[in-house]
Amino acid sequence: MCDLCAKHGDGGKWYLNAAHYADEIAEKYNLRDYLLEQYKNFEQVPVRKVNGFNPVGFDYKIRMPLIGRLLKRMAEGMLHSTRPPRNPFRAEGHIGQVVPLEDAIAILETCAAEPIIEKNCMCRYMSRGIQEACCINFGVMSDIISKLPRFIPAKDKFFLTRKEAIQRFAAFNNKGYIGTIWFGPFPYINNLCSCATPECAGIRPRLDFGIKSIYKAEYVADVRPDVCTGCGSCEDICQFGALHKTGARKTVTVDYDKCYGCGTCRHACAPGALYLRSRDEVPQIAEKY
Amino acid sequence: MARRTRITIDYSICGDGNEVDPRACGACMRACGPAVFTLHQTFGAEEKDPCDPQQWRITPLWASLCTRCNKCVKICPKEAITVE
Repeated sequence: MCDLCAKHGDGGKWYLNAAHYADEIAEKYNLRDYLLEQYKNFEQVPVRKVNGFNPVGFDYKIRMPLIGRLLKRMAEGMLHSTRPPRNPFRAEGHIGQVVPLEDAIAILETCAAEPIIEKNCMCRYMSRGIQEACCINFGVMSDIISKLPRFIPAKDKFFLTRKEAIQRFAAFNNKGYIGTIWFGPFPYINNLCSCATPECAGIRPRLDFGIKSIYKAEYVADVRPDVCTGCGSCEDICQFGALHKTGARKTVTVDYDKCYGCGTCRHACAPGALYLRSRDEVPQIAEKY
Repeated sequence: MARRTRITIDYSICGDGNEVDPRACGACMRACGPAVFTLHQTFGAEEKDPCDPQQWRITPLWASLCTRCNKCVKICPKEAITVE
């Protein structure tokens, strides 16, 4: 169980705690205005100065001794913030976790607040200039996205039923996109994304700079060596480079330290040799989220 | 410390409401392997409709991840990018 679950899960997983999805939270912190202000200029957030530090060139500064450590602490402090959100131009309290397909289905079936919509992924728009409708949003975000033309997918309808949302998410998961659920801002959950690296602005800080901007899933992938045929198709779908063919039989092994537990590798495995198990069952990575 | 990569984009050609709208072109962003570039609204631009901003520019945000493959320099139709 990760810190988020321990603090905000009410005994279960934090993202399966329906209290975080309630419209009442959005009203309590006045998040309608906050989120509209944030999403109007969302693409500016990664290039705006934070506490006087310009993010352009930040990637070099974070490699410096002492200053790098200070910057990392500042960034994590902002992302992990549990104070009421104040500044819509910063990614305050924007922390997420990787979720496999089963948990995403549970979220969409039971927790997500109506109305549910799909919107164009803003990370892909920022880093590639492409509009791909693969984010699923709930609750008050749906009203906000309706006001912002560039996030509305070029389809006749973007309001989804729960069943349609599950179908959309499953299709992207099959393609190898990583399911992620986000506080945005804490304590309100409104984003279920299907991410890809290196475009995802939430996964990049962790992979490239070691800033904990996203937690690994509650699960980890593992392989049944007797079933694996060594075809290697899972190696291509894994976005974290966690699967490698090793040994004389060339069966696949999972690098537990690299695996984020998104479970997309299972879709690529024809014989069904890959499965997810609870992260806490594997001693070497237990409690490492 | 390793030599810093400097990527510069000539904003008098691309972005800020000038000749090329980066949203329409975006060739460099799609060509870049490690996704070094970020597309964002220009700061301080007077926008008629803040919900649908019109002035955009591209900033090379993660220059340290640049592999100096020079694909962006070659693909840019206006030769507005330099990598040094």
